[in-house]
Amino acid sequence: MDYSNLRRQITFMKKSFFDQGYLDEQFHQLEELQDESSPNFVEEVVVLFLKDSPRLLSNIEQTIGKYPQDFYRLDSLVHQLKGSGSSIGAVRMKNECSVFKAHCNDRNLEGCRRSLQKMKREHATLKQKLESYFQLLRQVGPREHAVNSRN
Amino acid sequence: MDRRRIRVLLVEDEEINRVVARAVLRAAGVEADEAENGAEAVRRVRERVGAGAYDLILTDKQMPVMDGHEATRQIRAMGVTTPIVAVSSDSLPSDVQAFITAGADDFMPKPLTKEKLGCILSKFGLA
Repeated sequence: MDYSNLRRQITFMKKSFFDQGYLDEQFHQLEELQDESSPNFVEEVVVLFLKDSPRLLSNIEQTIGKYPQDFYRLDSLVHQLKGSGSSIGAVRMKNECSVFKAHCNDRNLEGCRRSLQKMKREHATLKQKLESYFQLLRQVGPREHAVNSRN
Repeated sequence: MDRRRIRVLLVEDEEINRVVARAVLRAAGVEADEAENGAEAVRRVRERVGAGAYDLILTDKQMPVMDGHEATRQIRAMGVTTPIVAVSSDSLPSDVQAFITAGADDFMPKPLTKEKLGCILSKFGLA
């Protein structure tokens, strides 16, 4: 794929993240923090999210399966996941975390279960999209990383 | 005040949040120390009592060992008047009030951004 087509695909892909509600303004904030001294900053933060989130989702699932229910621990775990997702602007994940926390507050285990399934689906979709996006970015090279902002 | 001399203590246990906040603080030209829990924050503040006190403390709420509420209470109990701003994902009125009751000066929902930091620095005369 030639360079200009790659750039167009990257631009279109990123726009779709916002149009489809996967990411919010925070992702732009990360891009503004990326510069020549930290040219891969956005990807580094996303990598941290993708490293943390599966572990947290797994811990949430394990905790849901325990008896007696530990809603305090569930709330703590989803609080971490919400914070992590917020850091990259993962708005759907963040919103579902809020729903989950509300179910914890109501001690609604079935609600927590349903919410967890939604979070897992959202996470899988977001992971796939972000990994594809950064794979394309890497193809255009480090210079593009440093200047790729709000395009 | 020369912004480059402003020293901030960032209290945050999650690495991803520290990475983002660190970048925001660096972009604002402030120097930042970091503590990964409330107990470490209290220790760092105690070490600076008298000389070289922090200009600003940014603290998360939920942390291991000691949470942000308790750290805030202990810092205030030392007589430290450094502005303390809670930065947390939980931003219900009850969460905010709990921090203010503990002695914090303000509350900001996560994540920290350049704009939010700018507001904080302006509010406390650090801009």
